[in-house]
Amino acid sequence: MLSEEAVRKVARLSRLAIDESQIPRYADQLSSILQHIERIQELDVEGVEPMAHPLPLNNRLDDDVPNEGMPIEDLLKNAPSVRDDYISVPKVLGEGSS
Amino acid sequence: MNDVAIRTKRLKVGLEIHVELQTRSKMFTRTPNVAHPDFEDAPPNTLVDPVVAALPGTLPVMNRAAVEMSMLVGLALGCDIARFSKWDRKNYYYPDLPKGYQISQYDLPLCHDGEFMIRTDEGDDRRIGIIRAHLEEDTGKLGHDLPGGSTFEGSLVDLNRAGTPLLEIVTHPDFDRAEDVVTFGQELRVLCRFLGVTQGVMQRGHMRFEPNINLEMELEDGRVVKTPIVEVKNLNSFRAVRGAIEHEYDRQEVEWRETGREMGPGAKSTYGWDDEKMVTVLQREKEDAHDYRYFPDPDLVPVVVDDAWLEEVRAQLPELPAARRTRYVDDFGLREKDAVVLVEERGLSELFEASVATLNDGSAVAIAKLLLNQCAKRANESGCGVHQLGISADQIAGVIKLREADELGTQSIDALLALLSGSDDSARELAEREGLLVIVDESQLDAWCDEAIAANEQAAEDVRNGKMAAIGRLVGHVMKSSGGSVDAKSVQAGLRKKLTN
Repeated sequence: MLSEEAVRKVARLSRLAIDESQIPRYADQLSSILQHIERIQELDVEGVEPMAHPLPLNNRLDDDVPNEGMPIEDLLKNAPSVRDDYISVPKVLGEGSS
Repeated sequence: MNDVAIRTKRLKVGLEIHVELQTRSKMFTRTPNVAHPDFEDAPPNTLVDPVVAALPGTLPVMNRAAVEMSMLVGLALGCDIARFSKWDRKNYYYPDLPKGYQISQYDLPLCHDGEFMIRTDEGDDRRIGIIRAHLEEDTGKLGHDLPGGSTFEGSLVDLNRAGTPLLEIVTHPDFDRAEDVVTFGQELRVLCRFLGVTQGVMQRGHMRFEPNINLEMELEDGRVVKTPIVEVKNLNSFRAVRGAIEHEYDRQEVEWRETGREMGPGAKSTYGWDDEKMVTVLQREKEDAHDYRYFPDPDLVPVVVDDAWLEEVRAQLPELPAARRTRYVDDFGLREKDAVVLVEERGLSELFEASVATLNDGSAVAIAKLLLNQCAKRANESGCGVHQLGISADQIAGVIKLREADELGTQSIDALLALLSGSDDSARELAEREGLLVIVDESQLDAWCDEAIAANEQAAEDVRNGKMAAIGRLVGHVMKSSGGSVDAKSVQAGLRKKLTN
């Protein structure tokens, strides 16, 4: 059984605000998913190549030819808040994420 | 408080380098790439499409050129190119990352296990191991400055950079001097520029450095302690790289004395760099900031590199800057510092070599001198590279031939170069047509020399008495009479003959 603390952590990492009262229910649902995975893990895959993708395809590559992109109006009209030509968000400290 | 004396203190640094690749379009969509010179000044949020903005239903498609540029860098760094690599999602939330994950390569990088040799400032050759080089996408940019200069109270998101192909190169912790890290960074920049994968403009963030730094100290009581590793993020100048490492070298010893903390699980921390105060600054992070939950990206299929593709890319690999430098010094007799400048631009290096090939190895020094002095001055004034002056290798060789035959005076070189820029005519044709060739009429030269001596009695007398400095005045007079059509060298020789015996 997934602990309630683990549920809170997953929610926090996903930036989901969940109601405390719902936590036991999520713990139950997530646990059943994990149990299903555990069953799959019982399979003997000795000697089977790990599969990186379910489709038998590789190298779907485009040539490096730029297109037009989309008009800035279309981008900004979906933003919750806009300042000049930027999307504005609450102040973030530091230079960036990467 | 530790007050044990330290017998030896050794710096240990590994380096991560992010290189923005200058493909024309982005990594996983064909919207223009801000790291390409054609699009670098695009207004904010104009290099965006539904994939970049992560609108529902969009799917990524790989950029062939980005994969090939990465292979090229990998090969130049002596890496093995993975025959099979795949894409993984690195999950975290940040306003510069619309999808909520960055597409990267986690366990199967495109390039791995290479090495890069550097020549240190002390003249030693050092091998720096390369662990891996993998491909990923850059994030958008966060700023606080509004157009016009005022400061915004929140953060401003510009997604132009989001999705730019990013090659992350990771070295082994093989550095023990800050200076060597800087040398490596500079040399890697020359290499990547030479390969044409980036402009390498540091101020634009084309290359960003993240050193991982700690100390190994042997104490008086025989113990060996290692301080916790510090990663300094996002350094985009060599001054900052040097400064951050030197600051950590001092700071970590002080911290160890105060806290006794040693390297170990969970002891790693992240610092930023304050460019004004020249100090590293601890970045506060949430405890689960590094819980990225990597998993394979189901939207992208793997990259499989077969022999044919690998050989096709390998065939594009030019002779590298370091090898060229050595050859220029050993085979052509160039000065080390001239060889360094010649390989900084691939176009310049190729112009130089083509010019030498037109003449012979013996003219290489003169060609280098012409390119790095008069041509470089002209390029500087025009705000372009020497190879962009519109002067061909044949024309350069032509200038050198005229010089070697004493048919072109030093004072006429600039004028001839100006004519050659943008003309297809040969150096000789232009010089003849514009009257730049040296007059070899001996009797005319003789007459001008006599005239100069007559007009400058005192100077002539001084030269007769061995004060050779006075000859300049006479040479000047002849040059003036000839309208610059004689070579100063032959004028001086002519005057000497008359005044000394």
